[in-house]
Amino acid sequence: MSELLKIDNVTINFGGLTAVDSLNMTLTEGNIRALIGPNGAGKSTIFNLVTGIYTPSKGRIIFRGQIINKLPPHKITGRGIARTFQNIRLFSELSVIDNVKIGYHCRSRGSFIDALLRSPAIKREEAHTHERALTCLALMELADKAEEVAGNLSYGEQRRLEIARALATNPALLCLDEPAAGMNPIEKEKLANIIRKIKEMGITIFLVEHDMKFVMNLAEKVTVLDYGKIIASGTPAEVQRNPAVIEAYLGKEVV
Amino acid sequence: MDSLLTNYISPYYIKIFTLVGIYIIIALGLNFISGVTGQLSFGHAAFVSIGAYTAAILTTRLQLPFLPSLLVGGLLAAVVGILLGFPILRLTGDYLGIATLGFGEIVIVVFQNMDITGGTIGLSGIAKNTSLSLVVLVVIFTIWSMYRLENSRFGRALMAIREDEIAANVMGINITAYKIQAFGIGTFFAGIGGGLYAHMIQYLNPTDFGFSRSFEYLTFVVLGGLGSIPGTILGTTVLTLAPEFLRFVAEYRMMIYGALMVIMMIFRPRGLLGGVNLSKKIRALKNKKKTTIPSDAR
Repeated sequence: MSELLKIDNVTINFGGLTAVDSLNMTLTEGNIRALIGPNGAGKSTIFNLVTGIYTPSKGRIIFRGQIINKLPPHKITGRGIARTFQNIRLFSELSVIDNVKIGYHCRSRGSFIDALLRSPAIKREEAHTHERALTCLALMELADKAEEVAGNLSYGEQRRLEIARALATNPALLCLDEPAAGMNPIEKEKLANIIRKIKEMGITIFLVEHDMKFVMNLAEKVTVLDYGKIIASGTPAEVQRNPAVIEAYLGKEVV
Repeated sequence: MDSLLTNYISPYYIKIFTLVGIYIIIALGLNFISGVTGQLSFGHAAFVSIGAYTAAILTTRLQLPFLPSLLVGGLLAAVVGILLGFPILRLTGDYLGIATLGFGEIVIVVFQNMDITGGTIGLSGIAKNTSLSLVVLVVIFTIWSMYRLENSRFGRALMAIREDEIAANVMGINITAYKIQAFGIGTFFAGIGGGLYAHMIQYLNPTDFGFSRSFEYLTFVVLGGLGSIPGTILGTTVLTLAPEFLRFVAEYRMMIYGALMVIMMIFRPRGLLGGVNLSKKIRALKNKKKTTIPSDAR
């Protein structure tokens, strides 16, 4: 198993606040890696760094052997990193299938001139985009909602649509920012199965999550973050026993 | 063609319908920028004026044929739109609106102080080349282009930008590049409309392209429905015909436009036809006829 993503000594400051401090982390290809930690620990900040929304103040981010931390988000998506958002960010007035088709944007080419001329090649591309979008929707069990307006979906469906849209970009690494937030236990179990299915497709998964139980059943390796620093890393069982983690995170629940 | 029409319709009506057509072209251009891509523009009339002056100067001073001059006017408006787009399309919302407003005022001042445009006296002696049939053809071309542009990978990217810029960016869309292209296309149609307008009215004055005109175009689009092609056509038609046929509307035109904006924002912020997808509605109706599944108990 080779190294897919390497976060090399990355620091980011917002004014006087150091949100992520000299962080080192390596993601192995084909694994599910979880990142946990209390509120404000810097988990989402790491996602924003990896996907290019923020640029590190110091350090490098290496994806498939290439430095990506100076690239804008749309180029990083092209390289094969996709993400979902903690607070759902769908194109809520567009149809469900159009949302997913937009995910395929970086794998297709049609310019505005192509849009006007509609050559046979572009029609084929459009047909392929449609097919691809339906496949992603089917995987997330949303195929029957394809023509609905995204904003009208239920909360759980919207979360799944975000994953479908991210999958459409054809990623090697899928970053899921609290995918189970606000879901009931049955929905969570369903989601865990879907995540395992995505892993079986050969996509590496980087997961930020609040729900410890959800993570423990899913991830091969768990990293615990507190105040922008890694306080523990290892298998779910190891992490659960770690006194530093219990103090920072689980302590509140163990009482 | 038009001479044939005059046997049936009075020249007055031909003039009005030509004007409606020209405004539809211009408003569809604005709808592409503000409705589809979601970028607020208060300076659309400035691009109309660039197209109008360019085409008029080419035909009057350089004696060039009308159609190529019209095209050059549209292209120059697009080039100015693209050049302006580079610095200002990084702004969002209100800031972008203010920047376009400022640009619109600059264009007027420039035209007022140039010799070739006739300065504040205006540019007269423009040949009457615009016919109703030509305008109808251009309107059809514009609607066709807009429809194809919106229903494509390109159009989806623009709508994604309107809905959520960060999410669009993370989905692999180069947002600045797409906004600039949309701005270029929208301003191209403004320029074409301007050229047609110049060769219909036959006299240009910079004050005809001020903020109040930009605001009128925005009213056309907002009344009908931001982002909707049929909505824009409806809004433009109603608001252009109303002052012609209802005298009291003409007198209080700007007041009514303002009041309409307020009422629309309260009761139908998405416009008369906003959020109504006609082609989808028709498709849904057809499907309903085909399959007679009982409606679920929702």
